[in-house]
Amino acid sequence: MKVLVAVKRVIDYNVKIRVKSDHSDVDLTNVKMALNPFCEIAVEEAVRLKEKGVASEVVAVTVGPKAAQEQLCTALALGADRAIHVQTDERVESLGAAKALAKVVEGEQPDLVILGKQAIDSDNNQTGQMLAALTGRPQGTFASEVVVEDGKLRVTREIDGGLQTVELVLPAIVTTDLRLNEPRYAKLPDIMKAKKKPLDVKTAEELGVEVGSRLTLVKVEPPAERQGGVKVGSVDELIDKLKNEAKVIS
Amino acid sequence: MIDYQAPLRDMQFILGELAGLPDVTALPDCEEASPDLVAAILEEASKFATGVLAPTNRQGDLEGCRLEGERVIVPDSWQSAYDQFREAGWLGLSLPPEFGGQGLPKLVSTPVWEMWFSSNMAFTMLPQLNVGQAEALLIAASDEQKATWLSKIVSGEWAATMNLTEPQAGSDLAATRMRAEPTGDGDYRLFGQKIYISYGEHELTPNIVHLVLARLPDAPEGVKGLSLFLVPKYRLDADGNPGEKNDVRCISIEHKMGIHGSPTCTLSFGDTEGAVGYLVGEPHQGLKTMFIMMNEARFGVGVQGLALGERAYQSALDYARERVQGRNIVSGEAGQPILYHPDVKRMLVGMRARLLAMRTFLYTAAGWFDIAHHHPDAAVADRHRRYVDLLMPVAKGWCTEVGNELCDEAIQVFGGMGFVEETGVAQLFRDARIITIYEGTTGIQANDLLGRKILREKGATLRELLDDMRACAQAAREDARLTELAEGLEELLEGLAATTDWLLAQGKEQTATLYGGAVPLLYQLGTVVGGWQLVRAAQAAQRQRDAGEGDTDYLDSVIALARFYMATYAPEAASHARVVRDGGQVLAHFPEAGL
Amino acid sequence: MSILVLAEHHDGKLGSATAHAVAAAQAIAQDGGGDIDVLVAGENVGTIAEAAATLDGVAKVRVADAAVYAHQLAEPLGELLAELAGDYSHVLAAASTTGKNVLPRLAALRNVAQLSEIISVESADTFKRPIYAGNAIATVQSDDALKVITVRATAFDAVAGSLQDQGSASIEAVDRVVDNALSSFIGEELAQSDRPELSAAKVVVSGGRGMGSGENFTLLEGIADKLGAAIGASRAAVDAGFVPNDMQVGQTGKIVAPELYIAVGISGAIQHLAGMKDAKVIVAINKDEEAPIFQVVDYGLVGDLFEILPELEQKL
Repeated sequence: MKVLVAVKRVIDYNVKIRVKSDHSDVDLTNVKMALNPFCEIAVEEAVRLKEKGVASEVVAVTVGPKAAQEQLCTALALGADRAIHVQTDERVESLGAAKALAKVVEGEQPDLVILGKQAIDSDNNQTGQMLAALTGRPQGTFASEVVVEDGKLRVTREIDGGLQTVELVLPAIVTTDLRLNEPRYAKLPDIMKAKKKPLDVKTAEELGVEVGSRLTLVKVEPPAERQGGVKVGSVDELIDKLKNEAKVIS
Repeated sequence: MIDYQAPLRDMQFILGELAGLPDVTALPDCEEASPDLVAAILEEASKFATGVLAPTNRQGDLEGCRLEGERVIVPDSWQSAYDQFREAGWLGLSLPPEFGGQGLPKLVSTPVWEMWFSSNMAFTMLPQLNVGQAEALLIAASDEQKATWLSKIVSGEWAATMNLTEPQAGSDLAATRMRAEPTGDGDYRLFGQKIYISYGEHELTPNIVHLVLARLPDAPEGVKGLSLFLVPKYRLDADGNPGEKNDVRCISIEHKMGIHGSPTCTLSFGDTEGAVGYLVGEPHQGLKTMFIMMNEARFGVGVQGLALGERAYQSALDYARERVQGRNIVSGEAGQPILYHPDVKRMLVGMRARLLAMRTFLYTAAGWFDIAHHHPDAAVADRHRRYVDLLMPVAKGWCTEVGNELCDEAIQVFGGMGFVEETGVAQLFRDARIITIYEGTTGIQANDLLGRKILREKGATLRELLDDMRACAQAAREDARLTELAEGLEELLEGLAATTDWLLAQGKEQTATLYGGAVPLLYQLGTVVGGWQLVRAAQAAQRQRDAGEGDTDYLDSVIALARFYMATYAPEAASHARVVRDGGQVLAHFPEAGL
Repeated sequence: MSILVLAEHHDGKLGSATAHAVAAAQAIAQDGGGDIDVLVAGENVGTIAEAAATLDGVAKVRVADAAVYAHQLAEPLGELLAELAGDYSHVLAAASTTGKNVLPRLAALRNVAQLSEIISVESADTFKRPIYAGNAIATVQSDDALKVITVRATAFDAVAGSLQDQGSASIEAVDRVVDNALSSFIGEELAQSDRPELSAAKVVVSGGRGMGSGENFTLLEGIADKLGAAIGASRAAVDAGFVPNDMQVGQTGKIVAPELYIAVGISGAIQHLAGMKDAKVIVAINKDEEAPIFQVVDYGLVGDLFEILPELEQKL
């Protein structure tokens, strides 16, 4: 079966973000960018399905600016067979991304689409669900285990308080949670081969989708800073403060 | 706290703007190293360094190695780290494609190895030995030997060692006693003992391939009588797989102040019937092969100086940002991190300035290696070869000494916590201490610089380099914003030219005086080269700034680092020069009885 | 126009997060007006609907009671919501794994954007939500006619409600039964615990690497029992294998905002702080007085946790 993996270029996990002084957005100039960690897990899962002989082809796709091809190259180095870049310089939010991906799904007809459950920049956690709705496919979100069995997909999902297992008909959409797998490190020969794998670039206009945002970003502020409090000298003092000053215990 | 993050921005800036990646990419056989491929390689290597190697560094130091009978037990995490390293193909980075490598230029492999050393030096010595041995076999081994051994060494399936030192033959290999006796069927039996053999024994791989310097029965005395032998831990069976155990065993391991995760073995060859070995290259030519490799190895140790300094700097910076102590001496404000203390800031900025100087120097030299190897114009290739030869003792000697200084200063930033092992910065200091010693001490580097690289050719290459550096100063003169840097560099160059003239004007009777000042000479040249590289860096930063490219904060910091170096470290060159001339003099006549 | 809130429920009980989502709906109603309806979708959910009807500010509870909704699978529920949404200007749900699963599906079916995990209502169309793991707060305005929103429960005080009182809201059945041939429920494994759920608990006691072992987490249990607290852990403690990952508080684990958060043997890595810094009162117990956690706490106690914890348990 064919597996499509959607990936996103985001700020590197280790970078401490800075809000622009005019509060218009987060400052991303010259900031190190990387593959979204959840997307890395998605790529890993797809590659493992291929290694198990379940998947026959893994296609990586991204929606974003030209520079996002770096993340496609990472996906190719990790084992994707080819890549599709839906190029746009617009600020893409979940619905726009889902629409572009839906177009790609229409063209590629994958049996399974795997996405990260959320991107660590916007923290939306929407694109996979939206893609499922737009393509009329079932969804297995927040997956911690994915098994293909008798032409169906069994997905174990991380839900509040535990795990839920659902069975989906194929084709289906899966979004990954942290525990699904531990992504591998790219191998040097694969990094070098990645440059030679096919990378198909299309613009959003060519696909005929409107990827622009429907939401207006009014402002972005840093969160309120917590001030360090006081040191207490003893357990008694702590209990006293919690009871009588903070009034959080009785 | 995140332990190690590869300084990718510095690396990219230097590769692209200063060390000539575009030029190297244009060389034959280097075309593949396109900037975006190099960026991808550095990115993935940095993930590996941060994710796999760095987390095992401290644990390896705590656990160390131990000898159980003849078995050497290395830190627990080494096996998984090594397997991942090998499977990811990093060993083959710069090794030839016909043996399974990727054949990338030294300019690309240098920053990658810097990351490995920064993240875990004791571990990285293991794969480093494979690269060194592969290079030796490429130079000297027969096609048949290459076919049998080389691809396994390049892939890392088998580990490698280099066996040079004996108890009586350390820096002076002429005293080597290890015997190699022909068996009559083309092979040899080796007898003797080798010491200080890094990774001489372990069970991380199914076989270990030792390269051993030994003496044939008919060998002339001294260094011209040494031959090179390949001695496997397990002899190969008919199918080429490890079979019967060879007559080599580890009889002890050293208890060292640093690099605890790297077992330093005493190997005994031929306790019973003799260790079976195979002659590599021509008889009595072993040292020549070793010397060709030596440049590469010394360069690698110079990179270790940079790498440990970088990690020490990162630790110190993190700590200085977090540790709250004392009042701000200017504003009187309390509750601020120690980074705001001017002296702590001085140490950190100074560390960063010297790191930028070393990194620019080493990467630039790596580019010279590539040009020397690949440039189609013989004259261009030759000039870069001579630059490499001249500056190799500086790359090794100066960068390891400065690397030690940085580890030392990092401890100072930590204060009392630096003296406490838990912070990990003490380990860097202990690990770094070996790098000014192995692969030729700083003294040996300095002697090499003075004798072979300057006096023997009457300063020809050094003068050529001086001209190049003058051209750089001249160009800096033409930009009014860089005047201060141009002046600083000019002063450094005048001093170096004067030292050069003085050295070459001395007669044979002054030999003791000259060699007494060899290390200060190496320091002086290192300080000058560092200043030169930072002026180049500042020029590149100014260029990018004028073109409206790049991160202006970063580019401004590069220019400021060059200025800080000129103000702080460049003046030391004059005092080194003084020691070269006057200190050497006093030293030559100092009575031994006075000690 | 009115507001529809999707009720959260498990094991035949109305989930407490619902009352928080209704509070967010009230804040919207204050600006834009309109009634607040609650949708209870499930199987045999009559008592849940009655409980929902007692929530302050709820005008009507709509009940879709059918086997297909039994496990609130996204496919049928998304479609049901998309059909009902025509009557509303806003559809809200708590940002639980159910809400996060279903609401984007609804939004896409209606061709509108979705707003995730809002933490405040600025007006009927403008909301604040954390981005970059809470390291920035975005104010976002939606131009869509229908606003589909998940609500971070801890950011809104729950509206009052009672199981005993007869609710003032009317209860009305929704007959629409959506077909679902796409997905089916196989099973569930829920952690058995008498303690409150971590992300909803009023008090959380968390242990870090300083706990030394998984066994030592029992030291936290006595205190948690006395305070009715949930037990959490730092990533370092999870990575060290002391406790399972579902106890993790932090950027990669659960986000909590209890009244009281007690961090024991936790140094205070940024990733951990991201998960608990919205707690009203934070207490840290750590032997290292330089631990960064002390920079964000209200009360810090420096000392050996193995002495402090038994004393604290005894004196509470």
